[in-house]
Amino acid sequence: MSTQRLRRAAITGIGVIAPNGQRTDAYWKSVSEGIGVLDRITREGCGHLPLRVAGEVRSFDAAALIEDRFLVQTDRFSHFAMAAAALALDDAGLGSGEPVDPFSIGVVTAAGSGGGEFGQRELQKLWGQGPRFVGPYQSIAWFYAASTGQISIRSGFKGPCGVVASDEAGGLDSLAHAAGAVRRGTDTMIVGAAEAPLAPYSMVCQLGYPEISTVEDPDLAYRPFTSKACGFVPAEGGALLVVEDEDRARERGVPVRATLAGHAATFTGASRWEESREGLARAIRGALDEAGAAPEDIDVVFADAMGVPEADRAEALAIADALGSHGRRVPVTAPKTGFGRAHCAAPVLDTVAAVLAMEHGQVPPTPNVFDICHDLDLVMSRARPVELRTALVLSRGLMGSNAALVVRRGGESAR
Amino acid sequence: MITTEVTADELAVLMKKAAGITVDPQELKRDAESPFDFFGLDSLGLLGIVGELENRYGLSLPPDSERCRTPREFLDVVNSTLKTGA
Repeated sequence: MSTQRLRRAAITGIGVIAPNGQRTDAYWKSVSEGIGVLDRITREGCGHLPLRVAGEVRSFDAAALIEDRFLVQTDRFSHFAMAAAALALDDAGLGSGEPVDPFSIGVVTAAGSGGGEFGQRELQKLWGQGPRFVGPYQSIAWFYAASTGQISIRSGFKGPCGVVASDEAGGLDSLAHAAGAVRRGTDTMIVGAAEAPLAPYSMVCQLGYPEISTVEDPDLAYRPFTSKACGFVPAEGGALLVVEDEDRARERGVPVRATLAGHAATFTGASRWEESREGLARAIRGALDEAGAAPEDIDVVFADAMGVPEADRAEALAIADALGSHGRRVPVTAPKTGFGRAHCAAPVLDTVAAVLAMEHGQVPPTPNVFDICHDLDLVMSRARPVELRTALVLSRGLMGSNAALVVRRGGESAR
Repeated sequence: MITTEVTADELAVLMKKAAGITVDPQELKRDAESPFDFFGLDSLGLLGIVGELENRYGLSLPPDSERCRTPREFLDVVNSTLKTGA
């Protein structure tokens, strides 16, 4: 029996379409400088709703980035995903024109709600004009799976595809799914999440969540870990990554930006924040185990930062439970307070921030948060220069999912 | 009696509107026997065009009209239906 080298999943490409930057470099500039872009919602038809503040991706020119035949059959969430995927592929040297075996590339995305804006438009035609006026693309555009399918079709990829619908933490689960596919033999996976929850129907759906912030002042609306925590602010946009076999990346001569070292997920029930403490702690331990990492190896934690007092307390305690005394010393950050929480895309954007933080040797700050009421070393005001080799990304969903991901800087190996 | 007929020019406009496919009407006329795939139009796209035409003329096209393989075949089905007023 031959000994097979364990394949490792490397991040070689990053594409970001976020409220605070529509390219990876623009995103990092905003994140590292702690620039806040939360603002009053300006999308049409939303002005009368009690949800006032969000992270909008403004001046996103879908028509300039995506062909008409894909635009007419897709929702805004897929527009973000297709645009981010193209940026990631370019970054990995796999952009259009590069020769690739289509069967060697698969796609997996996570989605929290699908194409709400497209769906609303067609349902309005159904009830306003009749079933004959509903366009056929309604049958595909609002599905959770739409972005995975359209990214594959647009680039002609024929490798294994998947959709992860496991709540917001599904953003991290999708990365684990991609890493698993790479370990099982697929060369390359396009993976991540993008969401478009800022349209009338989608916003009304979110109004039922007690965790959503309805505070009208953008600077005060999302302040996790403080005594003024009043919920989270939603955002749109997302990030797609190219994840591939590390050896193959080296053969291709492209830089390995980071490796996906460990992941674990648990479930503790919708809005049961106190119980998420144990769920999140167990996810952290599981991710560390898979990564072969000790608590002291974690150089930075990207927090879930729900912004609900009980949830924030549970997260701070989970970090302490899983990392021990190191949990009080390790720098913790939540850059998403500057641009909002893009549901499934939130932990993917955090993973991107973690990779960039390791590349730049800086822990980015947590905008709008100045005084915390938990025993955490939360990085505030400005970025902190630190040598970073290993990052821990945490995520929880409103429906009760918890997940943790350990990411290592490119070139670092397990102890 | 007014005879309505859908032309290749109109089909090109519908392909753009319903399916985002840009096609030169002259090319559509010249290659009317080529399969819709050749122009980048799939069956869902053609189904959208069927719906547009049915709403515009207030009639039903035969079942499976969206399965027509070529522009010629589709225009023949559409125009013979318009003629008989089915």
